[in-house]
Amino acid sequence: MTEYVEKIRLLLVDDEADFRAPLKKRLMKRGFSVLEAENGEECRAQMATEPMDVVILDVKMPGMSGHEVLEWIRQNHADTEVILLTGHACTADGVDGIKNGAFDYLSKPVEFEHLVKKIGQAVEKRRREEEKKQEAEFKARMEQQMVATERLVSLGTLSTGIAHEIDNPLAIIRESAEYVRLLLSKMEETTLPRKADLENAIGKIESAIDRASRITHQLLSFVRQPETMFTQTDLKALVSDTVNFARKEAANRKIEIVQETDWADGIIWSDPYAIRQVLINLITNAMAAIETEGTITISLSHTDATVTLSIKDTGPGIPRENLEKIFEPFFTTKPPGKGTGLGLYVTSGIIGRLGGKIEVSSQIGRETDFRVTLPRTREACESMADNKDICSDILNRIKGDRPND
Amino acid sequence: MIKIPTKVLIVDDEKDFVEMFSLRLKESGDNVLTAHSGQECLQALEKESVDVVVLDIKMPGMDGIETLKEIKKRCPIVEVILLTGHGAIETAVEGMKLGAYDYLLKPADAKEMTEKLEGARKRKDEQDERIRKAEQRSLLRRGGNI
Repeated sequence: MTEYVEKIRLLLVDDEADFRAPLKKRLMKRGFSVLEAENGEECRAQMATEPMDVVILDVKMPGMSGHEVLEWIRQNHADTEVILLTGHACTADGVDGIKNGAFDYLSKPVEFEHLVKKIGQAVEKRRREEEKKQEAEFKARMEQQMVATERLVSLGTLSTGIAHEIDNPLAIIRESAEYVRLLLSKMEETTLPRKADLENAIGKIESAIDRASRITHQLLSFVRQPETMFTQTDLKALVSDTVNFARKEAANRKIEIVQETDWADGIIWSDPYAIRQVLINLITNAMAAIETEGTITISLSHTDATVTLSIKDTGPGIPRENLEKIFEPFFTTKPPGKGTGLGLYVTSGIIGRLGGKIEVSSQIGRETDFRVTLPRTREACESMADNKDICSDILNRIKGDRPND
Repeated sequence: MIKIPTKVLIVDDEKDFVEMFSLRLKESGDNVLTAHSGQECLQALEKESVDVVVLDIKMPGMDGIETLKEIKKRCPIVEVILLTGHGAIETAVEGMKLGAYDYLLKPADAKEMTEKLEGARKRKDEQDERIRKAEQRSLLRRGGNI
């Protein structure tokens, strides 16, 4: 408690030095940090350099009156509480002050204990307002996140519906193209002088069908993936496996892959195949971001409740305006035909099914860091997962089955 | 090499797909029948003997799985290849448990389709062969008993 009192900054504004000095002394004895000001101007100057928690303000002063100072404080320092000191039998001054936003008023001569109590109340009010503000901010943030999530879900539903419908016409196009190819193969160039042109065109149609069906495949494979199979999963081994898989390609492009997984406990109950998919996606992305020459750092850390995998690359970074969109389906910055814009969408979907979450931070021109956090315990899963069923279904098994518990 | 024609019945409610697919198979020497619904498929099977049915799972009315069950009830020896969208692989697996030979994802490429058709055809030939031999044996045994 004393620690808290020490933090309270008071400013004593009164034109009478004889009044200020003893009061300051007594307040400092109580552990407040106290500054003085002789008039309104000085008060403004003081507050410009150091913010105050509570201002104790005499109403009757030469120059700027207490009311004027109060008005200025309300306009410029909304977080500061003001306690007015009024002359004896001048309650009207005090009431006006409260109307104009003072916390309260005391009439002179001031009873010291009374003042200390008022200061405490003023600080308490400030703290409650601060909490309320934080709560409101938190709520607003949550709401924003909800809207974003809902938007993703409806986008996902819509696009998978479209994907379904597109598969059928694609099948017709493919059959037709292959029929034409078959007919072409039976014709001689003497009867069909531009056979090569036709074959070239058919080739283009076929590769466009491949491209389109890759998109529908990725989309739909995400929506209806086979059930996740939870088992004891060694993240360290998974990281090593996946890195080995990528090492050759990385070496060709002068990309160094650093593993910092040694000290962490990487054993969790999860789906190794799903995690491998996530790792492959994120490492592939990191390599694509770097293009050539750079470093990918894969690190593992744990708390009692969670394990976090971080995949950091020294690529060009992701601009702020894109950071919010990268998990949306079809968002891509690659040229047409190069990226489907589904990689991270699918990745975040997989992680969601494992009861985890994925976060990203990026500094332009320096690095991008994707952090995947997975639950080690049922409680962690419950607090993280969107879908509570994940926890009750699978993580029940954590207890007793975990070798380290 | 002379190709032994496979008798294929294509069942899909997408008429354009059925048309192009059957044209291609005919062009490569197979015998092709077509149907645009589960009902038509069963009617066709009553009239003619077929080696392989290529059956779309998603059809209005009687869907592919129902049709498959009927086919297996009426002519168990006919092989069935299921056609499915990417989103419905579980249904395809269910179909295989019900006796389908295999499944193909739409849009399937010609090479895969040819391989699976050949595989299905081969399995049916082998089964036909086993049945023929078993019949022979049973005839022989009966003969010996006389």
